[in-house]
Amino acid sequence: MSGSNNPFLNGLWRQNPTFVQILGMCPTLAITNSVSNAVAMGLATAFVLTISNGLISAIRNHVPKQVRIATYIAIIATAVTITDYLVKAISINVYRALGPFIPLIVANCLILERAEAFAAKKPVIPSILDGAGMGLGFAFGLSCLGTVREVLGAGTFLGIHLFGPNFEPWVLFLLPPGGFIALAIWLLLFASFRERNRNLLQIQPVEQKS
Amino acid sequence: MIKFLGCLSFLCGVLIVGTHILTLDRIRANQDEILRQSLAQLLPGMQRQIVYTVAPSGDIAVLHAEPAGAKRIFAGFDANNRFLGLVLEASERGYADVISAMYAYSPETKLITGFTVVEMRETPGLGNKIGADPDFLQNFKALDTTHPIKAVKHGAKQNPWEIDGISGATISSRAVGRMLAASIQEMAPIIDRHKARLESGTE
Repeated sequence: MSGSNNPFLNGLWRQNPTFVQILGMCPTLAITNSVSNAVAMGLATAFVLTISNGLISAIRNHVPKQVRIATYIAIIATAVTITDYLVKAISINVYRALGPFIPLIVANCLILERAEAFAAKKPVIPSILDGAGMGLGFAFGLSCLGTVREVLGAGTFLGIHLFGPNFEPWVLFLLPPGGFIALAIWLLLFASFRERNRNLLQIQPVEQKS
Repeated sequence: MIKFLGCLSFLCGVLIVGTHILTLDRIRANQDEILRQSLAQLLPGMQRQIVYTVAPSGDIAVLHAEPAGAKRIFAGFDANNRFLGLVLEASERGYADVISAMYAYSPETKLITGFTVVEMRETPGLGNKIGADPDFLQNFKALDTTHPIKAVKHGAKQNPWEIDGISGATISSRAVGRMLAASIQEMAPIIDRHKARLESGTE
């Protein structure tokens, strides 16, 4: 499935959860109407994913097969609850912006998928790297979407006005349909980019032979 | 398998309780900060506040120590010790979890003059608009409390005691209506009884 041996870079780019695996679409569409929301949600998810991958990998040899999904969910829920407390303690403003989103991380299928596909089979260190890489890749994907939506939908980037007072914001991009449109544009860009890369790779060996 | 699940639950429990204990003080401090911010927002210009607790009998007393879940009334005064208004707390089950909020109430005009959400877990983008949507918050510039407060559909507000709801967030809007109605019904008679004392600024 993966061509790269580095689990961190693999998640960040080659197997990017948002653009390549198309996982965790619910937060991707719901929470990307501003850059700051997207970054915060991405980082919180990365944190949860790193902890849960590490814990699941540490106990992987003791988990009875029949209850492995329940085990993963319990561990993921624990990691999310810990994150919830930590965010509440670290910054009240981040918590006010992010509070309602944090419990939703439990339901992010990306985290369960990494538990089942990676952490349950691999040692602790690569699992932690995989979690961090996938999480940051997810944060990167969310920020890409958040940037497009905030710039077009509100005319701002991280709350800074970009276009002056005459700019009429394209509010559609802040609303749910805008999320789908922005996601489609990014997926198209990413797919065409990968297609071009693949063509280059296929052509090169042929050229070498001739 | 049972042994494994037991150990797992124990481990998760220990992790959660440990984090809770470690972060408790910081969270308390942050909640006090939210309280200060909310009060400043609801009663602009407030310099001094007196916090009263309401006993089950309806009597009020100045709060000195941490309350044990008692209802609180905040009386706010400006720099010249002029009475600005009262701030009350209300909470109600919303769509996802309990919504807790604070609102400013003027015992003179019997109007609600401000509303702010302290904590909620409503759906992002829909229900959580009750804390930020300017049109919705416009409802609480002067909300009549002499009639039972009621949240109505978006655009259907006709009377000064109705709250113009948010379309797509009916359950959260109605929860706000219910929490204010219940809170006013309970607190208005108590405030009326102690009006002179609450406004005097003396303990």
